[in-house]
Amino acid sequence: MRTPLRLGAVLATTVLTASALAGCGAGSGDTIKIGAIAGLTGTFITEEVVKTAQRVFDDANDAGGINGKKIEYIVKDDAGNAERTAQVARELLDAGVVAMAGSASFTDCDVNDGLYRQQKISSVMAVGASPTCYASPQIAPVNVGPFTLLTAVALHASQKLGDKRICNFTVVLPGSEEAVKLALDKWERLSGLKLVINDLTVQQSGDLTPYILRAKEADCDAVMFNTAEQMVVPWLQAAKTQKMDDVDFLLLAPAYTDSVAKAVGGLGLNVYAGSEFEPFTSDSLANAKWRETVTRASASPTAFSQGGYLSAKFMVEVLRSVKGEITRDSVNEALKTMTPIDDPMMASPFVFGPGEAHAPNQGSKIVRLTGLKWAVVDDTFITVPND
Amino acid sequence: MLELSAAVAGLATGGAYALIGLSVLLTYRLVAVVDFAQASVGAFGAFSMVALLDADLALPLAVLAGLVVGALVHMGLGLVMVRWFAEAGEGVKAAVTIAVYLGLVAAGLRLFGTHPQAFPKPFDSPAATVGGVVVTWTAVVTMLLAVLFAVLPTVLLGRTRTGLLLRAMSERPTTAELIGIRVPRLSLVVWGVAGAASALGIMIVAPTLAGDFGSQSMLVTPALAAALVGAFRSFTWTFVGGVGLGVLQGVAGVVESLRQYRGVLPFVVILAVLVWTRRRDRWDTAA
Repeated sequence: MRTPLRLGAVLATTVLTASALAGCGAGSGDTIKIGAIAGLTGTFITEEVVKTAQRVFDDANDAGGINGKKIEYIVKDDAGNAERTAQVARELLDAGVVAMAGSASFTDCDVNDGLYRQQKISSVMAVGASPTCYASPQIAPVNVGPFTLLTAVALHASQKLGDKRICNFTVVLPGSEEAVKLALDKWERLSGLKLVINDLTVQQSGDLTPYILRAKEADCDAVMFNTAEQMVVPWLQAAKTQKMDDVDFLLLAPAYTDSVAKAVGGLGLNVYAGSEFEPFTSDSLANAKWRETVTRASASPTAFSQGGYLSAKFMVEVLRSVKGEITRDSVNEALKTMTPIDDPMMASPFVFGPGEAHAPNQGSKIVRLTGLKWAVVDDTFITVPND
Repeated sequence: MLELSAAVAGLATGGAYALIGLSVLLTYRLVAVVDFAQASVGAFGAFSMVALLDADLALPLAVLAGLVVGALVHMGLGLVMVRWFAEAGEGVKAAVTIAVYLGLVAAGLRLFGTHPQAFPKPFDSPAATVGGVVVTWTAVVTMLLAVLFAVLPTVLLGRTRTGLLLRAMSERPTTAELIGIRVPRLSLVVWGVAGAASALGIMIVAPTLAGDFGSQSMLVTPALAAALVGAFRSFTWTFVGGVGLGVLQGVAGVVESLRQYRGVLPFVVILAVLVWTRRRDRWDTAA
């Protein structure tokens, strides 16, 4: 049953809100304020991200803070609603945050990119989803993101699984068609193959069997599908019904969840997914520190919470490198001139840097559905090379 | 060939649309309310069933409990209608159900989460292969249930005394009450039955469509389109409308020029039916 979890969520939200409110009243000037926008209510809940990030900041504070100053983490809930996303960003700026870290909102980049540019405030995002997140001078997400990940899973199919006839089905979110096309073009250049089917018109409604039948008729060796778990389950069900047992199904990170494993693990299909970071279900050494942190934060261990952990951790390191007073300007400067930070949870080092666009994380590991669990297929990251 | 396969595959979805559409029609014919909340009420029952299964209740008991939840939630809505909106117009009543729909979706997402649930699939095995498409027993059961949902109310309303009373109640509630029909009690039973019926429908079709609360609640759009094809009167035509819409969506999924319009087909059907049925109306005559 989920009730205890839900109760926990409500409690955590209350605590977070209370601490944010308390922060507004007192302590200004004595603390370093870092902001975040996440979904604590609504349909896109990312509270585990900010809870984990909060724990990282608390740990830094417990260890003496940054040059004797405590970090004050102010989290605002946008409820997955674009107007709220715009409003809470302004509230955070009014509260005097020097940077953003650990944001996990689907609308943040598209709605607030302009504001962040204008106000010259940098965001080390935990979970970026739209193309804007990877094309802004002020935003650097720590996750790979849906576009680079698409190239990475396609490379896995062509390089590691030896698939030749690769088909792609994508539900295109508004504004992301170009980025999807670029990601697929890149794979075609790198692999020397051409997609057998590239359907970017998949709808979020109705039965998915017609698409599955198309893939079956085209004799695809591998079928890529990009959507979140709600659609992935009927997708794989339909594939099973149509007896596509020898096809490789490649999914993106939103499908790499325990509920998907539970719902379709028993079908016995060949299902792979890109993991964004070191796979969160793996007990590897790379995950040890994150796992310990997420447990102490009483947050659910997901790929998103890995993003929260990493973005907060990188922010702490960057803050430590600031010479003199910590202000919005000095944090920006430190991010632009930072030394790349290596982390075993990521395929490539994290760096913000001076560029006009930031996509520091360029690789993913691949997990495979084995029984009712996800297992790591290959212990090396698939990194998308620059071309 | 691919179009034919897609059409066959669409029959199963069409059966689902018809099921919910017929439940909507049942509510409308018997208590005169266009119920936008019907699918979300059904989803509430179906998700309660899954929650109970998670709590290790046996399948038959969980199904029964889910049907009861669907019935109770719908009776709750019925009670609101009988109490405060008995004399209100159809538009007002429909607006109330839209509010209830939004409330139920919000509550459902809170209670059951946004993750897909593992629905039981007792009819998952293949029944036949038609035109290169494997048809499961789920599709067959959905279709049979839809036929049942179409035939039963037709017989009940046309051939039985209870049906006569129900018709009197829906068409002239005050007159019916004056001649001694216990309108509130009878209508609550109708609300309950329609709620349980939609819960049963959702339970069966949930594994084949997106398995989260929000998506299931959205089934009300194609269902309303189906009911509209039946002009909110005919059970047979609602059945035909639902199945037809499913087939149309299936075919649209594989036809290049139609593919990207697949999601809006229910709305196109609604618009087309409205324009067709109102073709003789004159703008200057009072409604």
